[in-house]
Amino acid sequence: MNMKENVDPVTLEIVKNALGSIADEMALVILRTAYSPIVRDSMDFSTAVFDRNGRTVAQGLTLAVHLGAFPDAMRKIVSEHGESMRPGDMFLMNDPYSGGGMHLPDIYMILPIFEAERVAAFVGTIVHHADVGGAVPGSMALGATEIFQEGLRIPLVKIYEEGRPNAALFSVLEMNSRMPSQLIGDLRAQVASCKAGERGVRELLAKLGPQAFADYCEALHDYAERLARAEIASMPDGDYFYEDYIDGLGSDPTPIAFKVRVTVAGSDLVIDWTGTDKQVQGAINGPIATTNSVTYAAVRSAMGIPIPNCDGFSRALSIRAELGSIVHPEEPAACAARGVIAYRMFDVLLGAFAQIVPERMPALGEGGPSVVSFSGRERGRGWLVTDGILGSWGGRPGKDGVDGISNPLGNMANQPIELMEARLPIKVLRYELVNDSGGGGRYRGGLAIRRSYEVLSEEAQLGLRSDRRSHLASGLKGGLPGSPSLNILSRKSGEQLLDVMPLGLVTLMRGDRFTHIAPGGGGYGDPLARPARQVLEDILDGKVSKEFAEKIYGVVLKDGRSLDEFETDNLRRRLAKKSHKDRITEQLRIFLKTNSHLSYSHLIESVS
Amino acid sequence: MSQITYRAGVDIGGTFTDIVLLGSDGSTHTKKLSSTPADYGMAIVSGLQSLLEELNATAGQVRDLTHGTTVATNTILEGKGAKTALLTTAGFRDVVEIGRLRLPTLYDLNYSKPVPLVPRRYRYEVAERLSSSGSVAMPLDEAGVVRIAQQLSSEQIESVAICLLHSYANPAHEIRIRDLLREELGTNIYLTCSHEILPEIREYERTSTTVVNAYLGPVVVGYLKSLIGKLRAIGMAGPVHIMHSNGGVMTASSVMEKPATIIESGPAAGVIAGAHVANASGYSDIITVDMGGTTAKAAMIERGQPARTTEYEVGAGINLSSKLVKGGGHAVKLPFIDVSEIGAGGGSKIRIDNGGLIQVGPESAGAVPGPVCYDAGGTTPTLTDAVLTLGYLNQRHLAGGELVINAAKARQAIETVVAKPTGVEILDAAYGVFSIAAATMTRAVKAVSTYRGRDPRDFALFAFGGNGPIVAHAIAALMDMKTVIVPPSPGVFSALGLLYSNTQHECLQTLLARLDSLHSRDLAVSLSKLATRVRQAMLAEGSTASDIDVTYALDLRYAGQAYELTVPIGSDDAGEFRIDGIADAFHREHERTYGHFSRTDSIEIVNLRASGALRSQNERSYDATPASPGNRGRAQIEPTVRTAYFGKQRGLIETPVVPRSALSSSPRRGPLIVEEYDSTCVVPPGASAVVDSNRNIVIELGA
Repeated sequence: MNMKENVDPVTLEIVKNALGSIADEMALVILRTAYSPIVRDSMDFSTAVFDRNGRTVAQGLTLAVHLGAFPDAMRKIVSEHGESMRPGDMFLMNDPYSGGGMHLPDIYMILPIFEAERVAAFVGTIVHHADVGGAVPGSMALGATEIFQEGLRIPLVKIYEEGRPNAALFSVLEMNSRMPSQLIGDLRAQVASCKAGERGVRELLAKLGPQAFADYCEALHDYAERLARAEIASMPDGDYFYEDYIDGLGSDPTPIAFKVRVTVAGSDLVIDWTGTDKQVQGAINGPIATTNSVTYAAVRSAMGIPIPNCDGFSRALSIRAELGSIVHPEEPAACAARGVIAYRMFDVLLGAFAQIVPERMPALGEGGPSVVSFSGRERGRGWLVTDGILGSWGGRPGKDGVDGISNPLGNMANQPIELMEARLPIKVLRYELVNDSGGGGRYRGGLAIRRSYEVLSEEAQLGLRSDRRSHLASGLKGGLPGSPSLNILSRKSGEQLLDVMPLGLVTLMRGDRFTHIAPGGGGYGDPLARPARQVLEDILDGKVSKEFAEKIYGVVLKDGRSLDEFETDNLRRRLAKKSHKDRITEQLRIFLKTNSHLSYSHLIESVS
Repeated sequence: MSQITYRAGVDIGGTFTDIVLLGSDGSTHTKKLSSTPADYGMAIVSGLQSLLEELNATAGQVRDLTHGTTVATNTILEGKGAKTALLTTAGFRDVVEIGRLRLPTLYDLNYSKPVPLVPRRYRYEVAERLSSSGSVAMPLDEAGVVRIAQQLSSEQIESVAICLLHSYANPAHEIRIRDLLREELGTNIYLTCSHEILPEIREYERTSTTVVNAYLGPVVVGYLKSLIGKLRAIGMAGPVHIMHSNGGVMTASSVMEKPATIIESGPAAGVIAGAHVANASGYSDIITVDMGGTTAKAAMIERGQPARTTEYEVGAGINLSSKLVKGGGHAVKLPFIDVSEIGAGGGSKIRIDNGGLIQVGPESAGAVPGPVCYDAGGTTPTLTDAVLTLGYLNQRHLAGGELVINAAKARQAIETVVAKPTGVEILDAAYGVFSIAAATMTRAVKAVSTYRGRDPRDFALFAFGGNGPIVAHAIAALMDMKTVIVPPSPGVFSALGLLYSNTQHECLQTLLARLDSLHSRDLAVSLSKLATRVRQAMLAEGSTASDIDVTYALDLRYAGQAYELTVPIGSDDAGEFRIDGIADAFHREHERTYGHFSRTDSIEIVNLRASGALRSQNERSYDATPASPGNRGRAQIEPTVRTAYFGKQRGLIETPVVPRSALSSSPRRGPLIVEEYDSTCVVPPGASAVVDSNRNIVIELGA
């Protein structure tokens, strides 16, 4: 606890709070005024305050995965414009390869704050914009093979120069978006957010003076580093490995592997992605800023204590990835839908940390939101809705998984059904938790969500991005995996199963129905050790069927409502001899049967 | 001589029940006693009786009683609501459990969602379907409802929430279900329809609000009936009013139908009192800070009106005031006074974290064991122990002598836990704790001001609660606010506020439309329908038609945005509603709140609101100069001097300790400590204090 002499712990605590509150206020301006649906439904935006060297000192709590989104971009600004920037300048950027961005819809806006002719701090925002051009509305075409197909690339440029707007840039941006008024409206929200941040930072600068402000920023980095190092030092030294897969891309069923080695050495942590598959011909490559972000977020989640979201936190971490791999692709790899692999990287890290700090790590969850979009034209106007169907957490030491919740890496909300139906030719038929979808365990995996839609317009296009049909959410310590995801299209002519991640859009006609069942969460611990009383509660709540209770949990009921303890004991003894693999197969069969999908029994074979 | 009559205000908190009697002679009398959680009504009646005895008065002289209560919040926090069922449209019984999914904390893999108030097994699905326009897409399966009624009966369900998709557009199916359940189950079951409590689009928020109302119904009805019974038994015959979360009052019988409206009854009372007292004293723009033992709450009052919100979650624990966090509790989308709360109070525990920084709260030592100085077994120092060590509090006893304390123990705990590990002097350690607590509070103040685009420097800080007047000057200094106001009886201030609250009823209706596509005539028709509902509710409470004043507001946003701003648009007297005038008002409010606006973007209406008040209550004046002293029998504080510490630069200062009566209209320079029965007020060096004509202490912080 050696603080420098010019820093006192009371002022440091106060400065830490003040910076956090500035970043939150900036976030609130964007949340309340943005037009991009992905901002309001997914909190897909971020705000931050930086010291004069461009290092993050505070970040608004919006989206877990943005934790490491800024550093590359800030390094670029400081190295390229450090000497030449002037008061009133504001920077704009979205390009992952030249600017340190994540994917093209995420537009960064950064404002330097001057004090006596010198840069004293920066504030910055990232907003996921509704459309920046490219092959499809929303600028996230899974089938893109080069970034050039994904929309407008903006290198690091000034959008304001000494207070004057760069009119040429504004008109280029406007011309390249399918939703120009939304794009401009959201840029306006970003400007307002930066101004609010600037006001807050100026007040703090006025109170402390620029030198003390810099000293306290430094002290804050040191403080976060101390906390992070103390946490890492408490972890057992060693190398820890984990790998997981995504099911494949389009109609190609070849799984894509994600492999990590986590090395704990004293108070240092090395996260090495070497061995992960090569970049792919599709829009799911994750530029390095994404990989850094996910890694920071996972490490932060695996630590037992809150640590301020500032740069010092990452000093104890080094991240390695091979250039040309899917987690560090080379230009011009397409990357618009890199979210898919971000969630899988997060799972892989959770799996590794479950070996390091087993006392606080969960079994895996749904592995990222499924994204369902409908679009079409009606009365000459285009319409589009992008709906996230969220997930379920795995069972945890001492606690069941959570039924129906946002992935911890994201912070998404769902779309109100009534608003959707009031605006669009789509009817929602069901929105509910899915019986028997939680992996069996001493602590049950969270239940998956089902959402069913009917098309009311003559024609509509369905876009789909899902995963975990073959590679399920793993259980831990004898817990069983969660249920697979299903995409079911029902038409008058019959029912069909759609690919997990079709590269193109699927055309639907009036009356067609589409149902998505998201993946269930993995179980934690032996299901036969789950207290029978808790299994009974789940049966009464319709979360577990009687058949599931009997065959997986070994729980027998007497009159349909109370436990037969004697038979339960007997059955549990018999089931204990059953292999883990057989239990998984049995569980899958029951899940399909309960939900009337036995016609897809062939899926059981492909599950790994 | 005609007999004196009294108006009673009763505020119940977790620890204390505060009673205020306002006499027709202008006198004010207060009483603070321990709450009786098993039956809160007992403390009310016994406290009222003993206060009346002190005055040689009878319960018959109490003209009316206004009540602020935490019974609704506690019922939810403790999970002690009715055995409740929910009837929904088939396919949607989990809407209420799935919620909006959003996480209230990030990086927390141990998080669990709030336990649903209605378990899944009691959520029943009804075959029926309405479209968003209200047309019937599938008729109601009445036989199915009757079958469900039989199950409700055999499960011994006490309360039922009914919420169908799109019922805000057409309530027919909900009404039919309600009637069928009444027929089948009789009057002993409590029923809440969503179109009655919140006819607003967005199914989760409406369902959750309906469920909360149903869950609270039988408990609140039971509580109020029992309270009224006890009051009648001692001879109090006047009306009983309850404060709702929006700061108005309703009769007890209206509250029994809509108990979800009284969730923030207690905190609202303090804010309303603040608005009244400040207005009467010439301050129309204030930020209130109410700091008690566990939390501190801030609210903004602008031009005499408290800011309101409809984004509220009950059972979420302390609202961390960032307003970014959602999903920690059960949504209740009714109008609330916008109170931002933070976990910093007198009982907040102090610790040093692994990185060497001092942390104050949010964990609290509670009433038992309480701060170390209570000498009741507590070993972790609290904010109160730090403040005591600084010399701000009486060194021997608190609460006017009722609570003897051990200052040496507090000092020692500060030394062991804070001073030694951080390597600073004990007084600097205590002052550091005090400064951090004040800085933490500024987050709550910012949440209600700068986060709404308001500059706190344009406001006076209005401090009450047991600990508010101690830290107020430090909060004000951090926010560059110049004036601090401390009203009389700051420790029982919320109870006083109840006596200055007005009758208020609000109704809402969703109308999803582009503003420019609407004719002002059609808008007027829709609003007048809403006004009729408001008037009917108020007439049913006994108000006279000519006394009712209805004003309107619209929830508006730019098409595509997710959040609305509520924009007042005047009353019937204003004549025609001009659409372009409404648009202008929205652009202005958007710019004020968020710093930007756009005249080229189209505006969307989401909801219409009508709010009813009584003209006759507008003239109710505030008078804090007692004709008779009240509170007889309590010892006056003797002026003395105490050594108090005001930080490294100002150091230790011999500080006069005086009663409020020692201050006058001519400014007295700080440092100064004003010690009272229920609170202590600190005037720092460099500041000056006066007492104004309403007996408020007004502190000017100076440059």
